[in-house]
Amino acid sequence: MTDFLAAAIRIATPLLLAALGGILSERAGVFAVGLEGMMLAGAFAATIGAWLSGSAALGVALALLGGAAIGLTVAIVAVRGRADNMVTGLAANILALGLTSYLLRVIAGGSGRPVAIHLTPLPPWPIPGLVEIPVLGPLLFDHPPLTYLAVLGCVALTLLLGRTQVGLTLRATGENPEAVFASGADPLRVRMLAVVACGAIAGLGGAVLSLQQVGTFTDGMTGGRGYLALASLIVGRWTPWGAAAACLVFGAAEAFELRLQTFGVPVSSYIVQMAPYLIALAVLAGLGRTSRLPAAIGQRLDG
Amino acid sequence: MTNSISRSCWRAAVAAALLAALPAIARPALAEDKAAILLPGSINDQSWNALGYSILQSLKSHGFTTAYSENVSDADETEALRDYASHGYLVVMGHSGRFVSAMQQVAPDFPKTQFIAVSGNEGMAPNVMSIDWNNAQFGCQLGTLAARMSKTHKVAGVYGLEGVPNITAQAGGFRICATKAGAQATILYVSDMEDAAAAKEAGLSLIAQGADVLTGKLNAAEAGLVEAAKQKHVFVTGRGLDQTKMAPDLVLTNIIEDWPAMFGATADQVKQGKLFGSFVMYGYNTAPVTGAALRYSDGAALNPLVPASVAKELQDEAAAFASGALKITPTREDARGGS
Repeated sequence: MTDFLAAAIRIATPLLLAALGGILSERAGVFAVGLEGMMLAGAFAATIGAWLSGSAALGVALALLGGAAIGLTVAIVAVRGRADNMVTGLAANILALGLTSYLLRVIAGGSGRPVAIHLTPLPPWPIPGLVEIPVLGPLLFDHPPLTYLAVLGCVALTLLLGRTQVGLTLRATGENPEAVFASGADPLRVRMLAVVACGAIAGLGGAVLSLQQVGTFTDGMTGGRGYLALASLIVGRWTPWGAAAACLVFGAAEAFELRLQTFGVPVSSYIVQMAPYLIALAVLAGLGRTSRLPAAIGQRLDG
Repeated sequence: MTNSISRSCWRAAVAAALLAALPAIARPALAEDKAAILLPGSINDQSWNALGYSILQSLKSHGFTTAYSENVSDADETEALRDYASHGYLVVMGHSGRFVSAMQQVAPDFPKTQFIAVSGNEGMAPNVMSIDWNNAQFGCQLGTLAARMSKTHKVAGVYGLEGVPNITAQAGGFRICATKAGAQATILYVSDMEDAAAAKEAGLSLIAQGADVLTGKLNAAEAGLVEAAKQKHVFVTGRGLDQTKMAPDLVLTNIIEDWPAMFGATADQVKQGKLFGSFVMYGYNTAPVTGAALRYSDGAALNPLVPASVAKELQDEAAAFASGALKITPTREDARGGS
């Protein structure tokens, strides 16, 4: 059981970081469809950074930059250029897939030769004292650094959105940008910054996959996790803790799917593998009527 | 003295130049033959598609100029095949068994082109062929090896694409021979053979249930499997020598596929005008080209930790496959998910 829950936490971590980024973007009024591309760019930049410099910390820093670069692209096109959010996000995802694959070749491949990067994944940082607690200790306090960062991110984002002027302005931009404008702030600028920040944080989610879990980058390694993160933040009603709960549910579903197969259920593996996505669809369908989008999400800003 | 040395040098140089020129003189027109491969993914995946790229490269030494297309989706297969064939490519390869049906559609329009599905399992006369190696034989050897190296007598394999014939062959072969050697084999299918993070989770879940030797047939995701073994310090088998480098004390061996050898022989004959329309499977019984081999490093088949008695048992198995004394044909039931 402990092992199952630990697996759920591991699977949820990259989703949660991406979802936290997505909350910033959507609360400011921009659909976060580009999460997948931001994660992928982050995963890529983290690997290259850590590989070239030999420093995991620099890898993490580059993940922020890599994700932010895709965020900036989305911000320029969708916010400043007033293009459709959905189309821009999807295009950014395709751009990130092609660009990371190409750059991997340019940076690491040399003469077009296939490359193999192997890094040691970030080790767990057991928290002294707390890790000694029976059962809960190893489950909650023996994780690699980015997992703690995801939890701290929840705390920080909750405080930012609920308790600060910046958070109020951000939320207002998503609900009623005219009011923000009237109060003297620039909603366009708020949205630009929010989307760039979204990219940076989602980039960290990608770094969880490449630096913390696998130790290498492979083409398209996010494998749809950005979309699952997007579903999580909607299921979680655009709140950090809600999104965290949703990510854990998806993580648990995937961990359960792996274990269900080994029980030898007489069902095709293809069906069992659909479980996490079926759950996502079911929950979204259930929430359909009750979930309330930020009022001005996707709306163009003039001026 | 000096004179005679320089004269013999001169003669040697002329002889060398003539020798070097000889192949070119022997087949002047053939140098223009072209070969292409369609890849389902990118040559950078460090695994399956990188392998496809290396097959193509190996054909250069057989006198082909080469081209490749990456990330060819299902919907684009027939168009891409047609495109190369209509541009006069003599050999058009698809790097997965799934290309067979598209080839069967396209091939009648290009009777002089040889279509080859890498790791397919069927052909169509006169010019669609599949080439693969005997997954059942090598899967069986991994099963025996895993069972002998396990202390818990629980071994496990992680695969993708349940039901695809060569997956069934390897997973089933693994279970049949692991069971025969007294271990319980658990098989797990993941949804994406490229998703290393998901494969690592799959590996960790199997280890948590007691498995202490892991194997699998995955693409880029194989690295995730090795990573899981490394984190929990259990034995694992890989698909490439760089996986030995990831965990030299834990990787027992790798199945190294020798596609250049399998393709080289075929390509030479196609150059001479012969076409193939069948499924050719290489294994221990088709030596000297066996299609694949167990390799721990360039000089060794197995990790030095593997006892000599176990190494001998694997050699005996190979010999029995070669002579035909041992034959296995794994079924879907043998390759079922679960224990």
